[in-house]
Amino acid sequence: MAEEIAIGIDLGTSYSCVSVAYEGSQEVVPNEWGDLNHASVVSFLEDGTISVGNAAKRNIVSNPEHTVYSAKRLIGRFFFSEEVVKARQMMPYTIVEGPNNGIRIEVRDQRLAVPEVSAMVLKEMKSIVESHLGREVKKAVITCPAYFNDNQRQATKDAGRIAGLEVLRIINEPTAAALAYGFGKEISQKVAVYDLGGGTFDMSILEIGKDVFEVLSTAGDTYLGGDDFDHRIMQWLAGDFLDKTGLDLRQNKWCLAMLNEAAEKAKIRCGREGSAEILIPGICQDTEGNVLDLNQVLTTPQFNQMVMDLVQRTFKVCDEALQAARLTASEIDAVILVGGPTRLPVIRESVMHYFGKEPMAGIDPEQVVSLGASIQARSLLASETETYLLDVTPLPLRIATVGGFTETIIGKNTPVPTERSKVFTTSRDDQEKVKIRVLQGESPKADECESLGEFEFSGFRVGARGEVKIEVTFEIDTDGIVHVRAADLETGKETRTSISLSSGLSEAEILESMSRNRATQRASVGG
Amino acid sequence: MVAETLDIELLELSAESEAIAGILDELDYFQILKLPNTAGLADVKTSYYQESRRFHPDRIFHLEDAALKARVLRIYKRITEAYSVLRDDVRRDKYLADITGPSRAEKLRYDEESEQELKRAKDEEIGATPNGRKLFAAGLAALQAGQVDAAERSFKMALLYEPSNERLKAKIDEARERAAGPKA
Repeated sequence: MAEEIAIGIDLGTSYSCVSVAYEGSQEVVPNEWGDLNHASVVSFLEDGTISVGNAAKRNIVSNPEHTVYSAKRLIGRFFFSEEVVKARQMMPYTIVEGPNNGIRIEVRDQRLAVPEVSAMVLKEMKSIVESHLGREVKKAVITCPAYFNDNQRQATKDAGRIAGLEVLRIINEPTAAALAYGFGKEISQKVAVYDLGGGTFDMSILEIGKDVFEVLSTAGDTYLGGDDFDHRIMQWLAGDFLDKTGLDLRQNKWCLAMLNEAAEKAKIRCGREGSAEILIPGICQDTEGNVLDLNQVLTTPQFNQMVMDLVQRTFKVCDEALQAARLTASEIDAVILVGGPTRLPVIRESVMHYFGKEPMAGIDPEQVVSLGASIQARSLLASETETYLLDVTPLPLRIATVGGFTETIIGKNTPVPTERSKVFTTSRDDQEKVKIRVLQGESPKADECESLGEFEFSGFRVGARGEVKIEVTFEIDTDGIVHVRAADLETGKETRTSISLSSGLSEAEILESMSRNRATQRASVGG
Repeated sequence: MVAETLDIELLELSAESEAIAGILDELDYFQILKLPNTAGLADVKTSYYQESRRFHPDRIFHLEDAALKARVLRIYKRITEAYSVLRDDVRRDKYLADITGPSRAEKLRYDEESEQELKRAKDEEIGATPNGRKLFAAGLAALQAGQVDAAERSFKMALLYEPSNERLKAKIDEARERAAGPKA
């Protein structure tokens, strides 16, 4: 029997990448057209089939209402969250409210949860490897931003299951990158991973001690990424067009999609060549019916000025991570850049200035995460473990107390897996239930934190007020996912637990999504 | 050959985890990390890495043995807990004082109460309120200068802001004693 295989998937906001590790080597797997990076885009076609990846990305302009991109910005979020409000203004596809304050995306005659869309991207990654190797793949390690909260991690894991994958582990993108960098090198170094993706920014500080990869601290901003750079260019283009013609391109979703595409291309070309010519022929018509073109030139100084405040924001996060690790920038031995946007000269130069050293050369910022994930996948299946990832939880875990405040149960940057217990006492005679609201976030105020759900415990002894003591245990596992359980302190008997006010999918919904996912056909047209 | 060594390592892990799991709740964090009480940050880290290589759940991820996995996970969670307390100089000192004191049995696990005690001790050391701190410092300065009455007044006023600060109460007594001393 051939050795069991597990893949590593970097499920990105804009692009995804998949790798396989073998003994002593690992490789990024290309699709049948030789692409190594695949747009995280799903396009729903008229005939009921779907197109995924770079082919689907081309449909953002031609089929904007039924082409879903940047789904990762929405995953595990509540309908009323700031990010979702913003997305509903920006995205040409329709985002509606689902059960439990969740999100659904409406395409054609379907209503899909966000993990279902991500599952289509994951399934594509799975089938890329399957056709490349000519064998079935069932297991995967999937990466997520280090700063993802429990809801986002759980939703990512659900997406993997819906895609028909056994998710061996969710690992943090910067940790995966550090693993790919340090694996097999037998080094002892302090490493900073600067991970600017399409939609999120993460900074992790690690200490590598041969086969042990210890995350000292992690900090991030899940509202900051390369997309925001594109957005700045779009605003500039649209503003300038408005000044010249009196027409606001931002009012039309089709024009927005064209602008977005042009902005991304201009950003990349400007980074590579120093300036970029932008031409969108026939972007709109004026009131007299004349077809208008958009014509502009973006230069590096202009671009740098547009995004400088965004770049500065990343260094605030770096300050925070270094401080939490109790290190200074000069104590860092190596700086690893991750994510497509780190190819931009403005980022490389700023990072070099901040750390006082050149970022590591020879690491592909768009492939290193999936390579690291594949190393971890192989290590998990092997009988001889070669790497130990000692990661931390990025956000404080809290419970709601009186007056809208919270109490910290597990602090940020605590090594995982970890658990803490707390004893609760009944406050009424014959009380049958104890309810606890669990949150994650930096703020001591409940409404400024992300709600993970309300846990209700029942089935314990019933007695006079203050007599019954319930010990509640909060656990964060190696995926960074939170589990809560409770037991009667005196008898040790576990209570029944039910969760409400949670944004996630129920087990029944996941099973239903799995069968729907299996039934979805890929469009036959290629490239 | 290789398979045999692995089998022996697993048997060892199985036996050791069984032994440790049985007495886990009696061990202090130093014992969990197999360190002497005098260990410093560098030792704590070295030991954390060593014990991670031994007890990290990933090491036995591929096995089916659910009981072994549960045991190892339980131990490993205690290892991360021990590390997260002992890697911090202030908490390590507090923890060491706790487990070498009379209530060792209740203090084996550093919890919210330990953290509160640490915070209280720190507050009492320097004062918990801005005015309390100012008056406390003034009192100390007066005491140093031999102005015991002025010192007592400052400490008493500080006590208005921090009625439960034990260190202030002790300082008031000290000022009074010194005021009474020469007369006696």
